[in-house]
Amino acid sequence: MSDIFFCKTCVYPSSKPHIEFNDEGICSGCIAFKRRPKIDWKKRELKFKEILNLNKKTNPDYYNCIVPSSGGKDSHYQIIKMLEYGMNPLVVNVIPDKLSELGRYNIENVKKLGVDTIEISLNPNIRRRINKFALETVGDISWPEHVTIFTVPVKASVFMKIPLLIWGESAENEIGGPIEAQDADILDRRWLEEFGGLLGLRTNDISDILQIPKEKLTMYTYPSDEELKKNGTMGLFLGQFLQWDGHENALIAEKHGFKPYDKDVEGSIVNYENLDNVYMRIHDYFKFLKYGYDRVTDWCCTHIRRGRMTREEAVKINQEKSGKFPEEYLGYKISEILEEINCSREEFIKICDKFTNKSLFVCNNKNELIKDNRLNLILKNNEYK
Amino acid sequence: MHKVRIAPTLLYKNNLVKGKNFKSWRVVGNLYQMIKLYNLREVDELFFFDIDASKNNSIQLSLIDEFADECFVPLTVGGGIKSLDDIGNLLKVGADKICINSSAMNDINFLKKAVDKYGSQCIVLSIDYKINKKEQKEIFINSGNKPTGILLENFIEKVSKVEPGEILLTSIDHDGIMKGYDIETIKKISKISDVPIIASGGAGSLNNFYEIIQKTNIKALSAASIFHFTEITPLDVKLYLDSKGVKVRI
Amino acid sequence: MNINKYDVAVIDYNTGNIDSVIKAIKYFNKSVILTNKQKDIDNSKRIILPGQGSFQFGMQQLEKLNLIDLIKKKALIDKIPTLGICLGMQLFADLGYEKEKTAGLGFIKGEIKKISTSLKLPHIGWNEVSFEQKNDLFDDLENDKDFYFVHSYYFDCSKSKNILAKTSYDFKFPSIIRDNNIVGFQFHPEKSLKNGFKLLNNFLKI
Repeated sequence: MSDIFFCKTCVYPSSKPHIEFNDEGICSGCIAFKRRPKIDWKKRELKFKEILNLNKKTNPDYYNCIVPSSGGKDSHYQIIKMLEYGMNPLVVNVIPDKLSELGRYNIENVKKLGVDTIEISLNPNIRRRINKFALETVGDISWPEHVTIFTVPVKASVFMKIPLLIWGESAENEIGGPIEAQDADILDRRWLEEFGGLLGLRTNDISDILQIPKEKLTMYTYPSDEELKKNGTMGLFLGQFLQWDGHENALIAEKHGFKPYDKDVEGSIVNYENLDNVYMRIHDYFKFLKYGYDRVTDWCCTHIRRGRMTREEAVKINQEKSGKFPEEYLGYKISEILEEINCSREEFIKICDKFTNKSLFVCNNKNELIKDNRLNLILKNNEYK
Repeated sequence: MHKVRIAPTLLYKNNLVKGKNFKSWRVVGNLYQMIKLYNLREVDELFFFDIDASKNNSIQLSLIDEFADECFVPLTVGGGIKSLDDIGNLLKVGADKICINSSAMNDINFLKKAVDKYGSQCIVLSIDYKINKKEQKEIFINSGNKPTGILLENFIEKVSKVEPGEILLTSIDHDGIMKGYDIETIKKISKISDVPIIASGGAGSLNNFYEIIQKTNIKALSAASIFHFTEITPLDVKLYLDSKGVKVRI
Repeated sequence: MNINKYDVAVIDYNTGNIDSVIKAIKYFNKSVILTNKQKDIDNSKRIILPGQGSFQFGMQQLEKLNLIDLIKKKALIDKIPTLGICLGMQLFADLGYEKEKTAGLGFIKGEIKKISTSLKLPHIGWNEVSFEQKNDLFDDLENDKDFYFVHSYYFDCSKSKNILAKTSYDFKFPSIIRDNNIVGFQFHPEKSLKNGFKLLNNFLKI
């Protein structure tokens, strides 16, 4: 028995965290997108330029903003825009645990856009312990990465004394969170906890439970409210001031030397995202197990909203490609990927099953999940009604 | 010394959810992972409610069986309890205490039978209330959807005689808003009830927990939104209370 | 000749959640059976009597299942390690005063009485267990640690030498009692996390 239902216009499910639906069954993401033309984008861009100018004035011979970057298509876009606006950005790049060759290539390409970069790598021994713990506890092998992606640039803002941070897409806006959150311009700690994908796990848990001394978790520890206030740290989402389109960003980035993968990235339907980090596939797969949707769904919804795909087409693509067991990613086999965190394939499958929300998938009468010969699950409502 | 307990609440509606005033339920994460997390954190106690169980007339025994296996902290389960067998089945799959709401309101004898058969130690009575149009505190059932016409204070006196182990008192008006507990009501009810009260609904800051302890004599607090939506963990709450001189288990 | 098939027999007499007790014992890799069959109980190296609910109901159930004599034999004559948890511990008394005066198993001298207090009952939640004497049950365990209680009656123990630890809820009552191979915990060790598990482990070593 499943109460899962799908948005009438896109293909997001009701089981997606933080999503809301109106009386006509349309989700908050679609509603937000529809609002876009009604938004006075000129006014927003003016407001944005005002903030940029203020920062230029108060930091004349220095960097006047930080752009957190992964070397990806969005990072390229953010940096290109900042340079266009005449800003002097310092790029802060947190290097993922298992950086791919393609990922390194693109990170170097960002530098060629004409920027200074700080690259921060984290203690891999600690990181791997946390990866394994996070996989087993919250079903997210990329938890440490999420935290550091948000935390490290904010720490850099404090120690480099650069108050302004330029983030990219406001996840909740495009992807559809509660209506109040959609106009959030500022990424403060509350936002991080509520939406930043922390899944309930806090840094305190890591130090307490894994007995890792707090000094070794410096890069995972968000600055205090006092430090942020004293520094005047402010984070803005570019996606709030300019109309954001991940696909368009990719085209712009490619024009500036960004290299995509030579075929569609496994578990997605595009070849230009999540190229840097091999664990992402596992992370996305768990999203499907817990909530019934993944990157395939995300992209379909983005395309539907911009008229690049019909809902019927999206349903077909999801039925074919969504939720596939991650046998391979960017040329690495799953057993190779898991070896690094001392996890066997069998252990991995057990962990997958534990985090699967069974109410979303077809089970036999012993309440066991039914899988095909490639270990794929079957969504109960796979007509996407 | 007997300690004050802080108990996180998990609400289930096919997914882990949280709402405001018992409405606009929002998926907030994965059930299994929160159970694991709270167990790793060794919380004082955990509450789990299946808010659709009554409506669907079915209790998800195999789901509860599965996560009870991961649960080493005291676990109270509620949602859809309609018969004595329901209670027995849940105890068998690993619940330590069973929470009864609508069924007890509909028939207080059912509550009495449950207490007689299983002992007050494993029966918690859950009461949800809100201010009605006449400005009175009225009890609601079925996840806050159905008014009962019963006023809170009248009912408490009546039900104390049946001796459930505890009463979980939830203010629907305060729930999910994170602006503090309904201290005034909890204080009043705690005075007239012989049964220990667990306060629920409204915790939004560390100080919210302290002020209700200071102003009432209750020993148990439940909360959900604050743990889902802020960086505060149950341990943070207890460390804060400890720093204010409240006896907690650390 | 008795073949000891199981490390622990947990007596199933229809009272409360036994799942957690079983889980805790399995954690220590001991073979455990949940049973009310005479043969299984007779073939086990240790017995655990769990339980929640009323004294009278508990004794009635044991009688209905015809287990009283066997349990007495195992504990008093065969002297196998016997643990009572919560109601289980209370049934070790001579008499219980809940509802009607009821005879208990009589393993440890004392009576079960209602906690007389102005505080609310049941005594539910975490409370400190303070050692009254040294004992190997307390190996590796710190004093005054919190354990999880849920009860309205207490064991009024006649001999102080049987009282290993006390807990305070308006007044002090025995929380751990022992007479040689017979041990009682008023709290739930299987719900008391690290410290509870340490205690259980120490019982399993007797």
